[in-house]
Amino acid sequence: MASHDVRDVLNLPHDGAARPAKKLKTNVPRPSLKGLAREVQNLGGDNPIAIVPEISSFKKRRFGSRKPAARWELRPFRNSARDDQSLHLRHWRKQTEDQARTQESQSGENGAEQESKSEQLDDSTFAKFNVQVDIPQYSDDQYNSNLISRYWTKDETDYLFGLVRDFDLRWPLIWDRYEYKPKPPEQARNGEGAGSMDPRTAVMPAGRPRSLEDLKSRYYEVAAKMMVVQKPVQYMTQPEFQLHEMMANFNPVAETQRKKFASDAMSRSREEAQEEELLLIEVRRILARQERLNQERRELYHRLDYPQTEQDISAFKSSAGLATLLQNLMNVDKTKKRKSLMEANGVNTPASAHPSDRLGHPNSTPISENRRESIAASSTGHRDSIGGSERPERPAKKGPQPAPKKLSEQEEHIYGVVHHDRLPSGPTFRYERINKILTTKSNAQHQRITNTLAELDIPSRLNMPTRAVVEEMEKLLASIGVLLDTRKLSDKLDAEIKLEKAKKAEREKTMAPAQTGKAAESAKVNGDAKKDGVNGTHSTNGDSTSAATAEKTNGDVPATNGSTNGETNGNSDTTANGDGAAPGDKGVRPGSSSNNRKRSVSVLSGISDKSSKRQKK
Amino acid sequence: MSSQHPLPNTQQPSDVYGGDEVSALVLDAGYCHTRAGFAGEDVPKSVLPSFYGSLKTGDGDAATYRDIFGDECLIPRADFEVKNYMSRAESIVEDWDAATKMWEHVLIKRLQPEKPTPPSKNGLNDPVPDGEGDVAMDDVEDQEKPLAESPLLMTEAPWNTGKAREKVIEIAMESWGCPAFWLSRTPVLAAFAAGKASALVIDVGGANTSVTAIHDGMVLKRSIQKSPVGGLWLSGQIRSMWDNNDPKIDIVPSYMVENKTPVDAGAPAQAKLRKFPYEISQSFRTYEEERLVTEFKESVVEVWRGPGRYSNPGNEDIVRSQPGRVFEMPNGSNQMWREQRFRVSEGMWDETAALPAAESITKAQTIPELIKAAVNAVDVDLRPNLLGNIVITGGTSLLNGFGDRLNNELMAMYPGMKIKIHAPGLTTERRFSAWLGGSILASLGTFHQMWISRKEYEENGAGIVEKRCK
Ligand SMILES: Nc1ncnc2c1ncn2[C@@H]1O[C@H](COP(=O)(O)OP(=O)(O)O)[C@@H](O)[C@H]1O
Ligand SMILES: [Mg+2]
Repeated sequence: MASHDVRDVLNLPHDGAARPAKKLKTNVPRPSLKGLAREVQNLGGDNPIAIVPEISSFKKRRFGSRKPAARWELRPFRNSARDDQSLHLRHWRKQTEDQARTQESQSGENGAEQESKSEQLDDSTFAKFNVQVDIPQYSDDQYNSNLISRYWTKDETDYLFGLVRDFDLRWPLIWDRYEYKPKPPEQARNGEGAGSMDPRTAVMPAGRPRSLEDLKSRYYEVAAKMMVVQKPVQYMTQPEFQLHEMMANFNPVAETQRKKFASDAMSRSREEAQEEELLLIEVRRILARQERLNQERRELYHRLDYPQTEQDISAFKSSAGLATLLQNLMNVDKTKKRKSLMEANGVNTPASAHPSDRLGHPNSTPISENRRESIAASSTGHRDSIGGSERPERPAKKGPQPAPKKLSEQEEHIYGVVHHDRLPSGPTFRYERINKILTTKSNAQHQRITNTLAELDIPSRLNMPTRAVVEEMEKLLASIGVLLDTRKLSDKLDAEIKLEKAKKAEREKTMAPAQTGKAAESAKVNGDAKKDGVNGTHSTNGDSTSAATAEKTNGDVPATNGSTNGETNGNSDTTANGDGAAPGDKGVRPGSSSNNRKRSVSVLSGISDKSSKRQKK
Repeated sequence: MSSQHPLPNTQQPSDVYGGDEVSALVLDAGYCHTRAGFAGEDVPKSVLPSFYGSLKTGDGDAATYRDIFGDECLIPRADFEVKNYMSRAESIVEDWDAATKMWEHVLIKRLQPEKPTPPSKNGLNDPVPDGEGDVAMDDVEDQEKPLAESPLLMTEAPWNTGKAREKVIEIAMESWGCPAFWLSRTPVLAAFAAGKASALVIDVGGANTSVTAIHDGMVLKRSIQKSPVGGLWLSGQIRSMWDNNDPKIDIVPSYMVENKTPVDAGAPAQAKLRKFPYEISQSFRTYEEERLVTEFKESVVEVWRGPGRYSNPGNEDIVRSQPGRVFEMPNGSNQMWREQRFRVSEGMWDETAALPAAESITKAQTIPELIKAAVNAVDVDLRPNLLGNIVITGGTSLLNGFGDRLNNELMAMYPGMKIKIHAPGLTTERRFSAWLGGSILASLGTFHQMWISRKEYEENGAGIVEKRCK
């Protein structure tokens, strides 16, 4: 059949038409044959050289690595999720070698093998997806002791629980299928009426219609009570307890109300829906605006307010802690100065965040305390508070650390802020400072000081070494030192005077004249000695007076005038001393003893002054 | 070497989709069609009309009837009646004998591979009784149980009675010897076919329209709504329209026409009708007419898409100004259909627009009202989810514009709610969605723990179906 005939059959025009298509084909890039120079190929022009390339790989692959086809078998399997294990469905599975063999060997044997075979069956891989919902169960006794309800019979409760089990707690289905028909009264069932009444036509007492909320609340009530029966509340784990609370607090009324709202929302008209949408948008806008306003206000407060610390400040209560705080603040100050431009908006910087970093840890204590509290509370029954107050608020992010505020004098006093020029490195105990004063003295002197203190009824080791007390103690010790020095000196002078007197008596015996010169000399010696031994301010007073008296009297008979003067002076001084120390001591000792001591101190100083006066004479 | 060339077809079937084929059969019986096939496939292998033929032999008291099944045997014959084994009002089985035979026909004769039978029985040596059509297998009983190898999943209308359900499992277990059986409701399966476990299923089928809420793979019984407004009702509307048309349109099914000559639109038909040497029964004629009407439905009838009702002023004028559709009857008469093609279907949505026909409907039977009633019968919390998962299925939902109208009606009914309609574009999926869902379900690995096994049936009796297939 020529192409002409074909055209004729297909009702195609006799010329053209098909030709262009052929021409088009020549434009299509020819498959390039490998191993043939381009020039050679081009020799062919439009008609490609008819060389069929030998493709050997196809055949090779086909026959080279041929494996016997895999065998598949219709293999029975069981499903362990089924109640009834007798059903063995069959699916196609690839046969493994050993199975093929066992099958061959078994094919000859009889059905006795059949039993054991069912044991060997694979379990369905889907059996594990069968999960069961845990539905509480109760016995008759448990029902009678815990679960009796005015609105629910046991029979209906049983029916409800049956449904719950059947429908795996899917409430819409449970409610949908809930068709409880109360059992006919006892006598109707087995009494005389049974004969006359067909049980089907007998009037059944209609079960009360139950709403979904009724069903739920009954179920939750029973479930919660059974949970408690199984495990008292205080032993429940957290999730168990939450479940219990949720079930015990189910509120059918609120639920019903919520559903009513929901259905109202569904049945509103288009206009209402649109209006509501608009309102919602409006509300959202208002809220957004409020938020912005709040934000701005908060910022403003930040600028105005002194630092409101949310952290534990106990670390700063000691002077060492305060020193570090000061150090930090000064660092902050320095960095601030350095990058005051960047700081302008008060954004978090590493330096400002530094102190709060250090303070992060002390928080652990309050938490654990809180927990202990909550545990204690739980045993008494209400644990509701847990959710809210579990954790002390920790700043979610470290906000800009507000600049430290300058404390006034009074506040400094209240907070015990002290400024030191220099501090010894490391922490020290205050009583150590007292001890140091004592231990640096020689043994004999130490002994004397402690004796003096004992005399004054002051313990050599302070019970309450507050800063004030320690300061006063230091002063006291200094005074004691002066006193002891003075006493030593006076003793020395006494001895000298005695010696001189003895000499004088000796001389008088020999020659009587030149009295006055000697006395002046002795007065001068006296003044020198004073200048050597005295550095306390209070004794300068006595010094000058005694010097004055020495000048005035100039005689060998001591003037009672001068001595009383000195005494009053000294007295007033020491009283001031004692007063200063009193506030510190009062807490420790009864007031009367401090009075005694005061008196004794003044008496002592009076005595010492007297003795010093006596010396001068 | 072998590791370098893995042969994909010898690998284990992957369980990615949770499938585990156990060569189960799926049977979906509707009023118009009975569909059967293998689980795991995407269309039923065999779709037969639920109408079957009943051939009478003999006269008077001696008359015997033989049932024949299949589309190809519903042809003009003597002493031949066309029947349906389903009830017209309920779409559930009415004639159990016929149903059993019908199902056996589809499941065994059409689906099962021909088993070699001994020559004495294989029929080749018997005198040929009729030559055409399939003969019901009378000798099923004395064979080995025909379905002893295949689990069977069947569908039922959601309002099916407990008795009917027990009867079905009895047939499957006793007569066919199924190793396992399951009965599932059509809307549930339609939802599965759409990939949803919870949905509001609107099934506009042959004899009925139903609206059912499905929650987690189970029917919410209180939500079930049923109405006669389905394919057959629509056919009634079309007949009524044809009757009242000017000129009145005679329904002449194809089998009656021997030849025809083309005529102009509106002109009387010029056709030669066939003559039969025997009387054609009315039932057969009705069946054939229905075929014609269905063709008309498919090609001409359209649903007013909304918004608003078709009867709202102005709508009809818009439609009139648009191009209509020509439909040619088998006898050659033809006509342009414009506004009428919208008017016929309007009764589904608006009872006042329904044409006067044998079956008049009430407001509560229109589709919007059915939906409203169904939605109101479920828990409030489920409603938004249901409205967001609406599945439409059934042959009549294939009417042009059906989905759009439904969407508009729902939007008007539930303003402010999110409404999403799942309407498969493939006609097969729409017509077979219940079967398809069954096919998916029966091939799921996780479903195998659900089957009612033979043993369970034997231990508990037929009542087990009520307990298990909830
Ligand atoms: N494309 C179509 N357009 C309109 N109606 C159709 C179409 N295809 C089928 N139908 C109608 O659908 C009905 C059958 O639907 P179907 O879902 O198979 O019913 P059933 O499930 O009850 O057997 C018939 O009445 C038929 O006329
Ligand atoms: Mg159907």
